[in-house]
Formats: sequence, C-alpha cells, structure tokens
Amino acid sequence: MTNRLAYPLAFASGGLLTLMVLFNGQWAREGTPLFASWMAHGTGTAAALVFLLLLRLGRRPSETRRPAPLWAYLGGLSGAVTVMLTSTTVNSFLALSGTLALGLAGQAGFSLLSDRFGWFGLPARRIGGTDLAALALILAGSLLVIFT
Amino acid sequence: MLQPILFAFLGGALVSVSRAINGRLSLATSAMTASFWNHLVGFLFLSAVALLWGGLMPGGWPDAPVTAWFGGTLGVLFVASGSWLVARIGATLTAMLVIAGQMVSGVALDLALGQSDNLLPKAAGVALILAGMMLARRGR
Repeated sequence: MTNRLAYPLAFASGGLLTLMVLFNGQWAREGTPLFASWMAHGTGTAAALVFLLLLRLGRRPSETRRPAPLWAYLGGLSGAVTVMLTSTTVNSFLALSGTLALGLAGQAGFSLLSDRFGWFGLPARRIGGTDLAALALILAGSLLVIFT
Repeated sequence: MLQPILFAFLGGALVSVSRAINGRLSLATSAMTASFWNHLVGFLFLSAVALLWGGLMPGGWPDAPVTAWFGGTLGVLFVASGSWLVARIGATLTAMLVIAGQMVSGVALDLALGQSDNLLPKAAGVALILAGMMLARRGR
C-alpha cells in the first residue's frame, strides 16, 4: 500500500524539484546564490507554518511519540551547506552539468551506504542486484540528459 | 582541479544526508514538522553566514518575477515528501525516483519553454530512466 503511493509521489516530487530550482534561480539571476537560498528558506519557514496549522485544524490530539534526538533537528544545516558548495562549483570548470553529474554520484553512493548500514536511525535495507541495475540505468539516462 | 570535484560530490552526498536526518525527525514528529525545522534551521544558519561574511544583497534587493516567491513553498513540500519517503522505501529508492522525476520533468520543461535542441539523445536518456524505474518496480 505504501509502495503503491510512494513510487508516483517520489517521481512527482522530482518534478516539484525542477520547478523549485527554476523559481529559486529567479532570485539568483540578479542576486546571489546565498540570497536565493536565504529567501527560499525564509519563505519556506512561513509556508511550513501555514501548512502545519492547516494540517492540525482537522486532527485529534496526536498520541505522544518518543522524542527525536537533537541532531535530527539539524537536517537544514546540510541543505544550506549544499547550496554553498554547489554555488562555487557551478562557477568552476565543472559548470552546471558537471556539478549535477557529480552530485548524482554523491547522492547515489551515500544513499547506498546509508541504506546498507541503517545510518541516521533509519532501518537498514538489503540492496539487491535488481536495485543496482535500476540505479545504473537511471544514472546513465541522467548523464545523457545532462550532457547533451 | 580536485576541490570543485570534491565539493560537487559532497554537495550530492549532503542531499542524501539531510533527507535521512529529516526522515528520522519525521518518525518522531511528522513529515511537515520535519520540513518546518529543516527550513527554520537552514534560514537561521544562512542568516548567520550572511552576517559574518556578507554577500547577501550586494546590489540591493534583487528584482524577480512573482513566481520566485513560491520556490520556498515548493521546497517545503519537497522536503516533507522526501522525509516521508525515505523512512518508508529507503534512501536509495527515494533518491532514484526523485532523480528520475527531476530529469524527465527537466526535459519536459525545456521542451515547453522551447529551449530544447539535440532532442534525440535526451529522449534516449528519458527512455533509459523510465526503463530503470520499471526495473526498480519489478524488484519489489
């Protein structure tokens, strides 16, 4: 049941990402990448508050869950550093295409390790041959899209 | 030579790191709560960076189309869905499917904006990506 919903959701969220990059990039065209990311995080914080209020209006008081460790609140640091790193590399010899391609490699490599060993308190998962073949096809196709 | 390569690779790895961390937070709270903290912490951190190093608005407040104001909202939905997904189908499958969606929609957007030349290799790339997605689905 989860999977049936998860596949199309994940694919659609990639489309959301394309639009997000387009819109955030409109700030960076005349401002700096730092300004673009700062604005995206600021307006995002406000938007998330609105979403949370809307979600909570129709909900009964939720059951108490075990609290998250403190580090789990720091995911935003990682995202902010990503912007700082990639805004330097797109202006290097790598350009946008090289930055994207190496970024995909970094994502794929780290995800495989994270799943295999169950990092960050998420369940460990076995990665099979089919998964690796699927990953290889998607990465190969992505490289074709990026570099042509 | 080596530094940009390392930075770009690290940038990608950090995308997976933040998705996993937010996923962990979503298990204890909710996907939208995780997205809220992600944005608030990122905003405070970037504000501190801007105060220390400057470079936020060297040319004054930049002029941008109204759509620029909605990038952050899309980001909130993106982070919330990523947190929900990574805790359920794992980091690799989430990354794979998000990348697939990003690439295919990117090609579609270029087509829609009429910025697309060299269509044949891009179509081949999309075909490979779709084949990979079908394979991933069979593997379950």
